[in-house]
Amino acid sequence: MSGKTPARYQNRIELLQGTLDMLILQTLRRGAQHGYGIAQSIRSGSSEVLQVETGSLYPALHRLEKQGWVKSEWGQTDNKQRAKFYSLTASGRKQLEAEHTRWSQMSVAIARLMKAREA
Amino acid sequence: MKLWFRSRRDEELDEEIRAHLAMAARDRLERGETPGDAQQNARRELGNELLIKEVTREMWGWSWLERFAQDLRYALRQMRRSPGVSVIAILTLALGLGATTAMFSIVNTALLEPLKYRDPARLYLARTLPPARAKLGRDFPVNARQFHEWRTHCRSCEDVSLIRFLDLTLVGAGQPVKLLALDVSYNFFRTLGIQPAMGRDFLPEDEQDWGKVILTDTLWRTRFAADPSILGRAIQLNGESHTVIGVMPPDLHLPRGTQWGGFSGPETDPLIFRPHAATGAQQARPAGSLNYSSMIRLKPGVSRQQGIEELNVLLADFARDFNLETSTTLIPLQDQMTRNARSALWLLLGAIGAVLLIACVNVGNLMLVRTANRYREAGVRLALGASRARLFGLVLKEAFLLVGIGGILGLGFAYAGLKLFVAAAPVDLPRLDEVGLNWRALAFSAFIIALSTLVCGIVPAWRLSRTEPLESLKAGSANSSEISRKLRFRELMVSVEVALSTMLLVVGGLLLFSFLRVMRVDKGFEVGHVIAQDVSFVNPKYSDEGRRRFVEEIVPKLAAIPGVRFAGAINVLPLRGEDWVSDLRDTDRPEPPLDQAALANFRFVTPDYFKTIGIPLKEGRFIEPKDQDRPVAVISERAAQHLWPGQNPLGKHVQGANSEGKNPALEVVGVVGEIPASSLERTPPMTVYEHYWRMQPVGMSFVLRTESNPATVVSSLRAVFSSADPELALSPAQTMEQIVDGSVAARRFQMYLAVAFALTALLLASLGVYGVISFNVARRTPEMGIRIALGARTMQLTAMILRQGLRPVVAGLAVGLVAALALGRFIATELYGVAPNDPWTMSAVAALLFAVAICACWIPARRASKIDPLRALRFE
Repeated sequence: MSGKTPARYQNRIELLQGTLDMLILQTLRRGAQHGYGIAQSIRSGSSEVLQVETGSLYPALHRLEKQGWVKSEWGQTDNKQRAKFYSLTASGRKQLEAEHTRWSQMSVAIARLMKAREA
Repeated sequence: MKLWFRSRRDEELDEEIRAHLAMAARDRLERGETPGDAQQNARRELGNELLIKEVTREMWGWSWLERFAQDLRYALRQMRRSPGVSVIAILTLALGLGATTAMFSIVNTALLEPLKYRDPARLYLARTLPPARAKLGRDFPVNARQFHEWRTHCRSCEDVSLIRFLDLTLVGAGQPVKLLALDVSYNFFRTLGIQPAMGRDFLPEDEQDWGKVILTDTLWRTRFAADPSILGRAIQLNGESHTVIGVMPPDLHLPRGTQWGGFSGPETDPLIFRPHAATGAQQARPAGSLNYSSMIRLKPGVSRQQGIEELNVLLADFARDFNLETSTTLIPLQDQMTRNARSALWLLLGAIGAVLLIACVNVGNLMLVRTANRYREAGVRLALGASRARLFGLVLKEAFLLVGIGGILGLGFAYAGLKLFVAAAPVDLPRLDEVGLNWRALAFSAFIIALSTLVCGIVPAWRLSRTEPLESLKAGSANSSEISRKLRFRELMVSVEVALSTMLLVVGGLLLFSFLRVMRVDKGFEVGHVIAQDVSFVNPKYSDEGRRRFVEEIVPKLAAIPGVRFAGAINVLPLRGEDWVSDLRDTDRPEPPLDQAALANFRFVTPDYFKTIGIPLKEGRFIEPKDQDRPVAVISERAAQHLWPGQNPLGKHVQGANSEGKNPALEVVGVVGEIPASSLERTPPMTVYEHYWRMQPVGMSFVLRTESNPATVVSSLRAVFSSADPELALSPAQTMEQIVDGSVAARRFQMYLAVAFALTALLLASLGVYGVISFNVARRTPEMGIRIALGARTMQLTAMILRQGLRPVVAGLAVGLVAALALGRFIATELYGVAPNDPWTMSAVAALLFAVAICACWIPARRASKIDPLRALRFE
């Protein structure tokens, strides 16, 4: 009930949480990456369809770290910029698999539903 | 609130966001934006940096602390919005929590905390059990011979010690003074595990070579000015020289009086210790008087049962030779010390706990009223995304704030209350001198604060957190079904309060009626206008003959004091306890079998004693001066009935007190009324009175019947004694009224507390009733307006409100009475002359509660009937 935290942000997180987490984990499968890099690769990977709000990204990263699915390390980018790099942990990998399965089942189910509606 | 361990993480987060901005800006630069645009656009794309950080920080899980502080600040604002209500709530809680904590401290110290001796669980008092066939129904102290056998042979015992009370008169250190002394075996302090602060403990040889004493710290300070060179000094006790060999530490905390298990005992702390002569115990008769307490420390690992078995085997070995039939038991020292106070203390703790519960329910009700105005706010918060758990916690924190502040204030109350309690409590309450707010009491206080928070807050919290945003945001007040559900719940709370108050009132009422009954008990003598002065002739200059002469000469002088009508003397005054207890037996018949054995209290009196104190003569005559050399006795009615039921006791023969060896048969010349010995509540013991010439106890009480206020003769009476013997130690004179008063002190104290608790409960419950009715009336103001506008009369409206208000009261009353009936047997032992289900008490309580509830309803009901219809309709 804090007066400082507008519901807007919390709602977004709740809305996107599962999906965003999965996308982040999926991105990190290709190797350690910093926050900005993750946002960029989700955007480009989805052909600019999915925009990741910074206001959702960092809370999500910190939450995933707390869950133990990613770990972080300070490092340098190619441009000598000091940044915090996130990488997948073993349990993060497992989590990704689980989420992937769930996601496929759900998208199949939803797709079936939508088709039934069309027919 | 910033916490130090957060700062590094905060810096890292700052840097992480800075890095993000830098990378975004560089990308834009590479895409060809100007440096200024790149910076600005990157920032815009990022959004509100502060908010991002805050939301991210919440993921760390640290922010509950921050949130907690935030909620508390919010709760404080809520409290300040209605300061009057908050202050009342806090004060109620403070009193309830404080009183409960104080009561717990007392119970804890007296009953729960181990005694402050070395390894106290191994300390026991040995008690003699009468033969199963003798219907004496209680256990007794032990005799000196039993002690001697155990000390010599017991292998389960680490130490066996002996204790007996003794009066010693100290002369030569200020005014002559009578000191309460303990006559103890040399190992007494060793058994307890205490060492002298100065000098040495008693040694075995001190039992042979007499004349050594150990002082208490109090005596050393008050009489010897804490003289460090006291050791080795000779002091005059009972006219004999004794050497001081040690001084005990200040905090001895020894059991007092009857806590040692005797029939009677002084309720003050002993001041001096003297070794008991060992030869006395060796030579004591196997069936000698049960005048001693024996404290036993069992060896480590020996169970109580093993100890009892060995003591009994030893007892049987030597008892067989003497054809005795007794057995013995061990009672843990702490149990023995707290025996008489245990149930009373638990009862009071339970009562005050119920008062606290009522206070909490009341505060919960207040909070419910307050939250009732906040459903809309809660709806908005929920709609904006607040979690229900957070709302729940918020209300709980408001409760915590109230209870917490109340609890801290309550500790102050508890501290002050304990001081008051210790000052006002009757002296025989165990371990009163050790009572204080210790860590256990503080832990208990924290525990009841947590519990009270839940009781106060859980319902309002649950209510508010279940608010339906949509419903609460609809125009107008909350919907009526919601309101009536809330009202029903508050009525239930009122019922709970009333039920608890009923139970407390029943307990208080029963104790009050018991007290009144005790005060109305026929004391058997005329209490008014009698003053008593105790004198002990412990100085060896008083031979048996000397004591006789003293009494013989001083009684006429006392009677001659102006304003004195009669004067007399007796060895033990009424209500000073059972003492000089011995067999009651018709000497003309063979010794009765054990199951018909009876005990009587033996009293030695001057002829005028009966007249002075006002004991009625039932048959025959009183003891007269001419009986000086004649073996006669006056007995009490019950003694006469026991020995010679349906026969004329006059001329029959009863065994006298001085029966050891001799067997004096006394002719019964008179029968008198019953006199209570230990307490007004106990059936008076059978009593045998003899002429004081036959026996000269070292302690005598002189009694004077005066024309007017007995206090006026005190100085003359003391002058008579001092002129007879300036070395006589005179304790303060007491009127019989004071003695009677002192005998009921414990009961009165318990009754006062219980009644005070019950009235507090009644007050709180009536506030609860008042609150609910007021709320109800305020809610229905428009409806009342319409009713009045339509012609409803004042009486009808008042009756309607009363009916509604009294519904939960009646329900609570019924439940409370049933519960009181069910729980009655637990307090039966605390009552006197009143059954736990006494219909008069029940009716009185019901009437009182009902009357108070009607008053509580009446005020809002009147208000409702006086509503101005026009204003009421505009209310909404």
